Amino acid sequence: MNMQRRDEHLLDERIADLLTQEATEGLGPTELAELDRLLARFPGSDRDALQSTAAAVMLAGEFDAEPLPAALRGRLVEQGRQWLRESATAALPAANVASLPAARASRAAKTPAHHLGWWAAAAAVLLAVVGWYPRLANTPTQSVVQTPTPPAPSAAQRREDLLKAVPADRLVRWDWATTKDPAGVGASGDVVWDPVTQKGYMRFVGLQANDAKSMQYQLWIFDADRDDRYPVDGGVFDVPAGRTEVVVPIDARLAVAKPALFAVTAEKPGGVVVSSRERIVVLAKPATA
Amino acid sequence: MADSVLARVAQGDQAAVAECIDQFGPLVWAIARRFSPNRDDAEDAVQEVFVDVWKSASRFDPAQGSEKVFISTIARRRLIDRLRRHSQLPDFAPTEELDVIGWAEPGTRGEVSVEAERAAQAVAQLKPDQQRVIELAVLQGLSHSEIAAKTGMPLGTVKTQMRRGLIQVRELLRLDAAADASTARGRRTAAPADEGTGS
Repeated sequence: MNMQRRDEHLLDERIADLLTQEATEGLGPTELAELDRLLARFPGSDRDALQSTAAAVMLAGEFDAEPLPAALRGRLVEQGRQWLRESATAALPAANVASLPAARASRAAKTPAHHLGWWAAAAAVLLAVVGWYPRLANTPTQSVVQTPTPPAPSAAQRREDLLKAVPADRLVRWDWATTKDPAGVGASGDVVWDPVTQKGYMRFVGLQANDAKSMQYQLWIFDADRDDRYPVDGGVFDVPAGRTEVVVPIDARLAVAKPALFAVTAEKPGGVVVSSRERIVVLAKPATA
Repeated sequence: MADSVLARVAQGDQAAVAECIDQFGPLVWAIARRFSPNRDDAEDAVQEVFVDVWKSASRFDPAQGSEKVFISTIARRRLIDRLRRHSQLPDFAPTEELDVIGWAEPGTRGEVSVEAERAAQAVAQLKPDQQRVIELAVLQGLSHSEIAAKTGMPLGTVKTQMRRGLIQVRELLRLDAAADASTARGRRTAAPADEGTGS
């Protein structure tokens, strides 16, 4: 019993260490995965408490009083109202809203030429990227919403709504390109992504159905603002047998403001934290000029 | 009582968006400027923070703290994520600049929040080493290893002092909150007697 109590004490200490680190300097992917695992086993810990304590302490410090730049304020107001409008009109199911990643409004409109140049360079580099893996350990499985639609707005309908609502110059829309992987042979479709609302959908036609007990598809999103080694986990999904076309909502775990490449891999059930990149099924990237 | 601005954002009130930005934008901007390498990066960070705010607005519970602390927590989380993303914690901030960042003078932060004032008082009760590591981490954004290098403390000591200090601050803040709740209950209980004995 003493041994058990000692083990529990050590685990408590470890959880406290990780929560402290999360509140002060943040956690890397391995530590984040460990904390998630520990908190799942010992759910009594208040994950937000130390973070809000650190925030209160931070507020006790000196801050320069500088007004919010007017142009930034304008973008924030527009972004906020847009977010509310689209949240209301899309009427996303609660689970999907909850899983939406933190959004970052792109400043792409300010420097389009710069970004266009970057896309081309990034796409070339990223195709050869090695050793990439996501920063977060939790890889939620999301269910495919198929066309034709179930009741309530389907993913396909929400995708259409997104296409109508978001200006073309803001929306990322790239076609899938296949690789030599057999699951993707003959597949087509596209991916759409709005950097402002952080909503997006993958549409596949002819992607091979998978047996979720042995393999699942997983999306990775490369962001120009992030280290190439750390693509954002876009969620795990399945393609049911007998479906020609599927639309899958993107469940990015982190904000993706400047997507550079979307890659779908075949992984073990539940997805992975670090992809071996052995099976890259389809890719989407900007069309080269 | 009127709904908080975050509650109105959560209800889809478009006017509350601008109100929220006007009320908390300067604070978020100041935090972003503190923890970002340059102005452009800070602008991106502020936009990220506010999208997080819109998404999280429905989770705000006034019983758990003020909107300022709620939004500052979101801002810190986002800024830390960005700092980690941009390699390591801020090498970009000149040391001499960081050295002048410190605690505000007592009594000058009243406009910020009650929690901030209480947090400052709580930090003042910590051991000097705990105060130092928390100041370096929370105010200056240094990583634990950078704090170890700067202070000469072993990394393990930095982590231990950080954990103990932060947990102690949390407990002191909880005690304050509990005392407030108790006082409020006392006032309510005392009210009839006060009325009865009043003029």
